[in-house]
Amino acid sequence: MGSLARAYGRPLALTLTAILVLWILALILVPLGAMVQQSLWWKDSAGDVSLTIDRLYNDIATLQLDAGNTTDAGKKAALDAEIATKQGEATALEAKELNPGKQWGLDNFTRMSSLHLYIFVRTILYALMVTALALIVCYPVAYVVALASGPRKAIILTVALIVPYAINELLRVYAWLMILDYRGVINGVLGWFGVVDLDNRGWIPFLENPSAVFLAMIYTYVLFMVFPIVNTLETLDRNQIEAARDLGASTARIHRRVIIPHAKPGIAVGCIMTFMLSAGSYSVPAIMTRGQGGDWFSQLVYRQFFESNNWNMGSAYAVSLLVVCTAFILLMMRFFGVGLRDIAK
Amino acid sequence: MSTATDSPGARLILNIYIGLFVLYLFLPLAVMSAAAFNSFDYPSVTQWRGFTLKWFVALANDQRLLQGLVNSVLVALGVIVVSIPAGLSGALILTRLGQRSGTVLYSVLVSPVLTPGIILGISSLIFWREFGVPGGLFVAVMAQSSFIASYAMLLFLARLQRQDRTLEEAALDLGASHTLVFRRITLPFLAPTAFTAAVVAFLQSFENYNTTVFAIGGEWTLVTEIASRLRFGLSPVINVVGVIFVVLTLLAATTYVLLKGKPKRA
Repeated sequence: MGSLARAYGRPLALTLTAILVLWILALILVPLGAMVQQSLWWKDSAGDVSLTIDRLYNDIATLQLDAGNTTDAGKKAALDAEIATKQGEATALEAKELNPGKQWGLDNFTRMSSLHLYIFVRTILYALMVTALALIVCYPVAYVVALASGPRKAIILTVALIVPYAINELLRVYAWLMILDYRGVINGVLGWFGVVDLDNRGWIPFLENPSAVFLAMIYTYVLFMVFPIVNTLETLDRNQIEAARDLGASTARIHRRVIIPHAKPGIAVGCIMTFMLSAGSYSVPAIMTRGQGGDWFSQLVYRQFFESNNWNMGSAYAVSLLVVCTAFILLMMRFFGVGLRDIAK
Repeated sequence: MSTATDSPGARLILNIYIGLFVLYLFLPLAVMSAAAFNSFDYPSVTQWRGFTLKWFVALANDQRLLQGLVNSVLVALGVIVVSIPAGLSGALILTRLGQRSGTVLYSVLVSPVLTPGIILGISSLIFWREFGVPGGLFVAVMAQSSFIASYAMLLFLARLQRQDRTLEEAALDLGASHTLVFRRITLPFLAPTAFTAAVVAFLQSFENYNTTVFAIGGEWTLVTEIASRLRFGLSPVINVVGVIFVVLTLLAATTYVLLKGKPKRA
């Protein structure tokens, strides 16, 4: 704080700090805390309570009938007392029915059904596969952009990479939907050649296959893999490659021993971003599968919030996803030896 | 610059690969654009029923999509208003902090970039409900700003690393007040970055879906409206929106290449 005041003067330093604190609290930490808190409590369903209340009122009505028919004063007093206690119980339960108490615990996490758990694990595996595929697809591209082309070609390629990215994510997914749909481009072309019969619904159901989501997802997040790798490769001294070649190394060996080790931080960053985006992607699976193919976990989260209206459960799902993503990021950072400052470039 | 590090055979394979990759990037967009001019009711290029502009007319009369466009712009402007000051404050403070305390603060401020978008949407939705604010444009602004402010901060930080501090110190020595130095030296130095950051923020906000869909509640932006339409089936009107995006982006990209391709004065 002292150094800030020296650098910017007290009023300015205070203003900047105030804005920063507001950002951290209102946009980052407290919302996150609110989500975690929401995931840790639940309310018992009011159904059982309502049933008990109904039964009590039935009893009271019977007792009142009995009390009205009896002539014995002592018996009537006993019945009235019983009615009063039952009425008290009912009133207490009614209060509980209107406002069921919060129960705290980890039940939202442990109650995840085995189907949902399966989808959760499968989503993580799918996201890992998307990440690996994206790396394989993007590495040669990054290599060409960074090292194997002249500056002009590099600029054009960079722009070629950015242009699809600048177009809405949703519209890019939509383009693939058009291509792979039942009456989409591929089935249409196949229909021309008589391979499939569109009139009798004899199309190939590409969209029901998880690879359709993979294809669109790699397409959507390709840039997050290419650019980090390009950034690190651009700092590689080309003389190192020349030297390795002069010393007789094969192309594969040069890549393995010179280029890939240099690109390691970029590869780590690309993998982290791609994994995080694909594991948490709602748009791509929701649009590509349209409920036909297998669900991704993000779709379950969405349904918990907006269809089952169970925000507690939904928060628990979201927290689980966040934990896995964070663990993946930390693992990759440890494994590739990169710091947070390398990631955020 | 030497580029002949690969053998001719390897270069050929690489070039073919790059060609295929560019095809992979652009063919879907071309298909999408072409279908916008097909008069067939279902967006298609294989069942061609003649050229038409009727889908453009349909878009011009589509009140919900137009309102969505207005909402998207409103949200994006809101995001700029929130995230540029936040990012600027973060960057200015971080550059003056020591390595130790700086790293912790840095991690917190960068974490939204590494958080899945749906989580940011959900946590904002829950947080603002506590204050009685239901999902809507305002919550969408807040949810998006939480990570867009981080991007803005990173841009400001990069710029501040190239700053010549002696300029500010000289001004202070000559008796200028801190506020004057900030207004006359620091802010003008950061102004170009602020512009870039605003453009980035606008684009990020405009195209965001994963965060917005959770925070938007009963309202809608252009993107969430398109998404909810896709559930009920495809319509060429969406292709028209796509064409407009493609054309705008290509125009911007061509301008950029032409400007950047010009030989610089040495």
